[in-house]
Amino acid sequence: MGSFLNEQLTWGGVLVVFLWAVVFLVIVLGFVTYAIYFERKVIGWMQFRKGPNRVGPLGLLQTVADIFKLLIKEDTIPRKADRLLFILAPALAYIPAFSVLVVIPYTQNLYFADLNVGLLYYVALSGISALAIILGGWASNNKYALLGGMRSAAQMISYEVPLVISIVGVILLSGSLNLRVIVEAQAGGWFWNWNVLPQIIGFAVFVIAAVSELNRTPFDLPEAESELVAGYHVEYSGFRFAFFMLSEYVYVYAIAALTTVLYLGGWHPPAPFLDFVPGILWFILKFVCIVFFLFWIRATFPRIRIDQLMGLGWKVLLPIALLNVFLTAIYIELFIKG
Amino acid sequence: MNGLLKGLGVTLKAMASPKVTTSYPDAPYVMPDRFRGIQHFIPELCIVCNQCARICPTDCITLTGKPNPDPEKKVKVIDTFDINFEICILCDLCTEVCPTEAIVMTNHFELSAYSRDELFKDAKWLSDNNTLVRQDNNNIGAPAKGGAK
Repeated sequence: MGSFLNEQLTWGGVLVVFLWAVVFLVIVLGFVTYAIYFERKVIGWMQFRKGPNRVGPLGLLQTVADIFKLLIKEDTIPRKADRLLFILAPALAYIPAFSVLVVIPYTQNLYFADLNVGLLYYVALSGISALAIILGGWASNNKYALLGGMRSAAQMISYEVPLVISIVGVILLSGSLNLRVIVEAQAGGWFWNWNVLPQIIGFAVFVIAAVSELNRTPFDLPEAESELVAGYHVEYSGFRFAFFMLSEYVYVYAIAALTTVLYLGGWHPPAPFLDFVPGILWFILKFVCIVFFLFWIRATFPRIRIDQLMGLGWKVLLPIALLNVFLTAIYIELFIKG
Repeated sequence: MNGLLKGLGVTLKAMASPKVTTSYPDAPYVMPDRFRGIQHFIPELCIVCNQCARICPTDCITLTGKPNPDPEKKVKVIDTFDINFEICILCDLCTEVCPTEAIVMTNHFELSAYSRDELFKDAKWLSDNNTLVRQDNNNIGAPAKGGAK
């Protein structure tokens, strides 16, 4: 896959890359569809309910029906809205969400782009999504949407800082920003070679900041269903709204894949004798566990207040993340270099 | 911190525990034995004493009697008996007051209708409503004998 990007650009090459992008888009859409189904099922089970079970066998077509309903809805644009920005915002939210996925390596050989600044690329592009949210809130010309957008932007910017700094520990340990090299650095057969145990502080900060970055419970203040009207997307309907939801769930995919790659050893099995299972299955298993964990905490924790949110981000997570960087640096200086 | 982990444990346990939802519109929901549902009326037992109409807090019962066709007997027989379920609150007072248990409660509760006219039930409808009839009609809140004073 990666070799295509290094060859000279030809029409055939462009076609192949485009087709692969379409295939991957279909896979991601399938993931989003069934992630929503799975989320509703899991939360239902945890609330002593059965979850969706009416549309199709076991309710498997429920999300398909929901998406179809969104697509056939009237597409409304408020008259006083800033039309161009209003149309641009959902696309701007989705494009970075989809483009960050290009750097995720699934196995040794299955990856799209082998960037040597892969992690930086991920962080830089995912930062654009906050802009799309402010843009959507602003262009709606609605005070609730604007407030929701500002809240969301404040939250995403505050939590991006500890998120990125918690990754620095991983970068120090593996000495690279390339996600494939980071996974290779976690090889060694056993699960204690993965970054999750040596970087346990960084991992905790990363998970908390990632949940907040995804705007999911307990940090879902931008679209708190029970408190706000809807947050930044209150004026959106139909497929523009679907795009905001889609990009949110694509970020779930991205963060789960990134956590797997950075901390859980990517495609490496947890023990050497489990080597016969293909790496892609290990990757999927770890990925699914993280996605389940996100749903699990959504079903468990109440939402935190806005003042607690900022306090947690700047006063707790950021110092801990910085401490983790220093501890990792000291560890490397004393034990690995020396 | 400990509380967060405990909460995660609670939800994980709930995930595997039996579910409380039922498939109600598909399968009928079984009400407990002393449920106050739509009345069942037994015209043969009625003595036209008018007590149910008098006790009814919403005045939803209207009834008329006629002289007994058997000239030997003085007791009247029921002619019309209607309950307006637009205003009936299913309070059970008519059953409690009825000396012959001619009007008793059943376990049926589905009263939604497309027209308000459908909610006006006559004696024929009420006496045909003869399934799931409640058994203990005079046992309201009190043990029969030797109970608490």
